[in-house]
Amino acid sequence: MTPHLSSTNPNSIKTRFAYKFLRALKRLNKRRPTSPPHPNEIFRWFRMIKTASYSSMASAVGSRKGWSQAMLRKIWCRALETRRRRRRRRRCGGMIRRSSGERNKADELRSLLPGGEAMDFCSLLGETAHYIRCLTTQVQVMRNIVDLCST
Amino acid sequence: MDRIAGTEVRSVNCGEEIEEIGVDSLQFGEEIRRLMAAPTDTGSSFTALLELPANQVMELLHSPDTVRTPASLAGDHHVIERASRFSVFAATEMSTETSSIPSNSTPHSHVVKLEPVNSDSNPNSSDPMAENDNRKSTKRKEREKKGTGSTKQSKSVSNESSRDGEKLPYVHVRARRGQATDSHSLAERARREKINARMKLLQELVPGCNKISGTAMVLDEIINHVQSLQHQVELLSMRLAAVNPIIDVNLDSLLAAESGSPMDTNIPGMVMPMMWPEGQGYGNRQQCQQLWHFDGLHQPVLGREDNASFITPETSLLSYDSSKDSASLPPNQLKMEL
Repeated sequence: MTPHLSSTNPNSIKTRFAYKFLRALKRLNKRRPTSPPHPNEIFRWFRMIKTASYSSMASAVGSRKGWSQAMLRKIWCRALETRRRRRRRRRCGGMIRRSSGERNKADELRSLLPGGEAMDFCSLLGETAHYIRCLTTQVQVMRNIVDLCST
Repeated sequence: MDRIAGTEVRSVNCGEEIEEIGVDSLQFGEEIRRLMAAPTDTGSSFTALLELPANQVMELLHSPDTVRTPASLAGDHHVIERASRFSVFAATEMSTETSSIPSNSTPHSHVVKLEPVNSDSNPNSSDPMAENDNRKSTKRKEREKKGTGSTKQSKSVSNESSRDGEKLPYVHVRARRGQATDSHSLAERARREKINARMKLLQELVPGCNKISGTAMVLDEIINHVQSLQHQVELLSMRLAAVNPIIDVNLDSLLAAESGSPMDTNIPGMVMPMMWPEGQGYGNRQQCQQLWHFDGLHQPVLGREDNASFITPETSLLSYDSSKDSASLPPNQLKMEL
């Protein structure tokens, strides 16, 4: 029963992300009180799983990219906020609002990308490319997990 | 004499666009011939020159201030060859350098075109540097351009300050014929090229973007794609949240499978206990081995919630597997699809 190895790079972002995400899911599951989830609870769990997914992806990427740094910072800020029970809305990174109010494409892209507010257009494009690649692997891994778990 | 003719021909061929240079080289050829007839003792000065390192030689040869008279040049044909070789060093692209030995070095006919170090250095730092140089050389280039009737299309930015022998990093941009050559437009052109390259990358990443032309539409597609990916992540995490109670067993098997196959080389310490079904100390691991081998249950370490969740997933899995006939597939093989 030797698993046939596909040509996966053991150090690739995909495997790192999968590893971290699975570990995070396991940790989350240990905290789960009741096995049939209460409908109100599902939303909370959903938020936590989403955060876990994004944070494990960002930490798998590391600090090499601006978007991963910004994402980790945002998550940590939010975690600190909830822990200290302060409901201060503090945006890490600040938003640059256009005075005219019109949203051109670059601004839309900036709002989508974490940490995109403080980037010039050229690096914004580069980071978007990397972000798209990481999002696709994230979706793939999560879909596999869900398929495996739901069967 | 044929060597002189060779340099002439070379210079004329490569230096089509600069007729002045051609003329100069012809003149130079005549001078050389004249010099060859009479052995000169000025040959020593030139060979002394040649003992200097190449950069300084180029500087000396190309400095517009110093007037190089043909008389100061050696009549030796070896010297001419060496000089032409130096010229080939200095100018990889430009033609002017092949006729590098200026007879009457008029400023507008000789522009040093030494290659810069790296092309993606910060243009800001190079701008104040390159600005002065470019202003000086703009006139030259324009005059040269007017003088050319050639088909050659590329010129390189000159870096006169690098004549000192130190190559300063600045942006190497190719200005096409008929385009402005001042530093601002050059920097802008470099920036635009970078942006275009990245847009091409993005077009390849986003499916269906190759046919679209125009930056705005491509950006629209990119934005839509990112939004759809983010929505997919949300949907999947919703599904995970709903499915989650069953995950307990599967997770460990997944983790084992995940760690077992691709990460064999990486973390042997962690992998080994997971890989072996003989049962290790982990309580959870035993569940996964249960899943694989249907051995007897050991539940010494299982917590309360594990017990509660264990029975249902086991039964559900088994029933599901038997019904689905996919029980033969070990989880690690399924995981290989990742």
